[in-house]
Amino acid sequence: MTSSRTKRWLLAVVLPIAAVALWQAAGTDGSLAGGALPTPDRVWTAWITWAFGHAGPMTLSPYVGSWAGAVGHSAERVAKGFAVAILLGVPLGVLIGWSRIVSAMVDPSIQWLRPVPITAWLPISLAIFGIRDFGAIFLITIGAFYPIVINTTQGARDVEKNWIRAALMMGAQPLDILRRVVLPAALPSIFTGLRIGLGIGWTAVIVAEMVAVKSGLGYVLWDAYYVGRMDIVIADMVSIGLFGFISDWAIVRLELWALNWRRLQSFNQ
Amino acid sequence: MGTIQFSSVCKTYHGGVLALENVDFTVGEGEFVALLGPSGCGKSTLLNLIAGFEKLSEGRMSFNGNPVTKPGPDRGVVFQEASLLPWLNVWENVVFGPKVQNIARDDYEPRAREILRVMGLEKFHEALPVQLSGGMRQRVGIARALVMQPKALLMDEPFGALDAQTRLSMQELLLDIWQTLKTTVLFVTHDIDEAILLADRVCVMTARPGRITRDIRIDIPRPRSIDTLTTGDFTTYKAMIMAEMRGLHAHH
Ligand SMILES: Nc1ncnc2c1ncn2[C@@H]1O[C@H](COP(=O)(O)OP(=O)(O)OP(=O)(O)O)[C@@H](O)[C@H]1O
Ligand SMILES: [Mg+2]
Repeated sequence: MTSSRTKRWLLAVVLPIAAVALWQAAGTDGSLAGGALPTPDRVWTAWITWAFGHAGPMTLSPYVGSWAGAVGHSAERVAKGFAVAILLGVPLGVLIGWSRIVSAMVDPSIQWLRPVPITAWLPISLAIFGIRDFGAIFLITIGAFYPIVINTTQGARDVEKNWIRAALMMGAQPLDILRRVVLPAALPSIFTGLRIGLGIGWTAVIVAEMVAVKSGLGYVLWDAYYVGRMDIVIADMVSIGLFGFISDWAIVRLELWALNWRRLQSFNQ
Repeated sequence: MGTIQFSSVCKTYHGGVLALENVDFTVGEGEFVALLGPSGCGKSTLLNLIAGFEKLSEGRMSFNGNPVTKPGPDRGVVFQEASLLPWLNVWENVVFGPKVQNIARDDYEPRAREILRVMGLEKFHEALPVQLSGGMRQRVGIARALVMQPKALLMDEPFGALDAQTRLSMQELLLDIWQTLKTTVLFVTHDIDEAILLADRVCVMTARPGRITRDIRIDIPRPRSIDTLTTGDFTTYKAMIMAEMRGLHAHH
């Protein structure tokens, strides 16, 4: 058990280590591609300063000790936008999947708006919210909403007929059916939607911060590019990947816990 | 309490399948009636109508003299595959009914515990349905119907998916329970032995469109048990019903 887990870890880090080693070896004097890209050691040093450096009154660079703040801003926006997307998408998806009337009324509009990418929403977001937090949260919500609502709808539609019949037979009212049968039965699909939605949420926050707010990892990414700090750009990219990965891992843990019954089921069969 | 009545009932499904035609059929209070017939003859349809799961196309149907419009806890349904809610454990499945009906906990808890004990499930309150055998799952399915103290039990091939030995022990359990409770039971099966062993009356159905062709009273004294299966009376009834079903085949 433990040794197989160690083995999995080792296998997982082989590729990244090889890539970093190659990248380091390809550079000379701390840079490659004609000076366009820094080598990993430079990125690492820049990152350490960005994360742990102490900015004094005379510090001009914004990339000293400000990493946690940037991460915090982005993560907070993703969390807020994602939460709003869940609050809208899950109940709506359950209703669409459950009721033919709601489905006929709402589903076509959703399918019609869905192809509009989040980047296309940027001008409207700027026009309405200006350069403020709301704009970013709005974009994250839009991006995460579609996969959540669509997967929830799918799950709610596929509920086994006899589960609903059994609940009706036991005297359940429509609200009981939605809460105690349709929602739990749709949970596996809902979690699929949450994972995809959260991934899109991270994409959306970076896009939004590059254009519509003046803080966070996305803002730093664009700003550092403008001032030619490619070491910070790369450190920023790695940070985005890291936090996207961690938040996805958290959802998977939550899913394993919430869907224990299902794990046993697939294991037994 | 617990009477079931069908008069001139027809059922046509979407797409025009005529599943039942002119069914006249009554189950008296406290009576155990088995519906016997080949696959696709409309046994489940009949049961789903009285359960309130399906709408009638023509005719009248009543439960305790009242027209049936929707499912309700006065008619406990036991499904073929148990159809337990897989995310709830045994205890939660059994108390689901009383809970959504807002019945006081002091009222249903002792009853649920007693029923689970009779079903031999007292050690499995915490188990999830997937962790149970088919027979145990079906016992939970019966327990969750009984805990609501229904006036009738509607059972759709409840033991059809079980192996022969488990089926025998489940039949014996059902006989024991019914002999003390005496609720009305409508029991769908295609197993002739099962029908004769359990029922007061066996109603034989034909296929397409479904009709009840024979209504046979089983005068084997109660209490019955598995030993009933080897008595002379039993064999006589079996021969009669088999002849009936073969005859139906010959006609078509
Ligand atoms: N929801 C439905 N829509 C359309 N046709 C249906 C539906 N349910 C059942 N039928 C048809 O109605 C007829 C009777 O079906 P029913 O399920 O009542 O038969 P049954 O006697 O219970 O069969 P079995 O022993 O196989 O369970 C069949 O021809 C079936 O194809
Ligand atoms: Mg059937």
